[in-house]
Amino acid sequence: MDVIGLGIAALGVAIGLGLIGFAAMQGMARQPEAIGKLQVSMLIALAFVELVFLLTLFIGGPALKTIVK
Amino acid sequence: MGDIFSTGLTTFAAAEAEAPEHFGIAAVAFYLVLVLGLIFLALGAAKKGLKQRVFKNFWTSRFEQLYLFIEGMCVGIIGAHGRKYVPMIITFWLLIFFGNVVALFFPYSPTADLSFNLGMALISMFYVQYEGMRSNGVLGHFGHFAGPKLGGAMALLITPVIFCIEIVSELMKNVSLSLRLYGNIHGGHQAVEAMNQLGTKFYIPFGEFLLPIKLLTVVVQAMIFTLLTCVYLSLVTHHSEEHDDHGHADDHALAAA
Repeated sequence: MDVIGLGIAALGVAIGLGLIGFAAMQGMARQPEAIGKLQVSMLIALAFVELVFLLTLFIGGPALKTIVK
Repeated sequence: MGDIFSTGLTTFAAAEAEAPEHFGIAAVAFYLVLVLGLIFLALGAAKKGLKQRVFKNFWTSRFEQLYLFIEGMCVGIIGAHGRKYVPMIITFWLLIFFGNVVALFFPYSPTADLSFNLGMALISMFYVQYEGMRSNGVLGHFGHFAGPKLGGAMALLITPVIFCIEIVSELMKNVSLSLRLYGNIHGGHQAVEAMNQLGTKFYIPFGEFLLPIKLLTVVVQAMIFTLLTCVYLSLVTHHSEEHDDHGHADDHALAAA
């Protein structure tokens, strides 16, 4: 069951990362002169979303290992 | 409140349990010396080209580009007074970047070690608090945590809650900074090992095909750590920015006159 939980967490984070990339690329295509500012805020948002999965992994990972064994 | 603080501790404990094979402090020290040696070699090579009028030396021009990049980031995020934070930010950048480069070629690296990352994140957090106190004063800095000024019963009700939440979020910054770097670098190692396991039958190291992504991670992680430190600095030294802007405007007016 925990494996499915990690998969769901990865799915949600992947959707979030995709949305950020989608929005940032659309903004960059519409306004190429704002690429610098958009990249900076995009990276910050990516970092925050990525952290969610890392926390899930660190909290869920050890439990997962005990179940697999 | 105790639960909130112990949540961070259990997160660290779980992250430590994730990596059972700890290389020990001798390995961290060895790889840290390696990283520092690389940094000083590169800086020494860059220093030789400083005397020329035009920077023709390879390392000198690279470091000039790096300096301009970091300075642009600091000034762009923090504001006009961001130039004085460049030494700290560039030190973080060099340490994380060279640590990640070492992590590409060696089984271990300082940035793949949670304790080293936690140390760097704690330094970053305390530096941000120190700069906040220096630019706003101790009372102004802690008053900054209390949120907007409210009147009457709202002040008694909401301001303590906002204050507690702000303090906890300040304390959680080091958790997020260190776990992000550790998770990316250590997770990269884990992913390479797992993919190598796939190819053992055919004697093909599939993990090598992750190298382009890891190359990207090297730069992006160094950038994100420094970028977030810049953002925290800009949040904390926000009030003095206006004064600085006015001061500069006055300077420009004087210069124009």
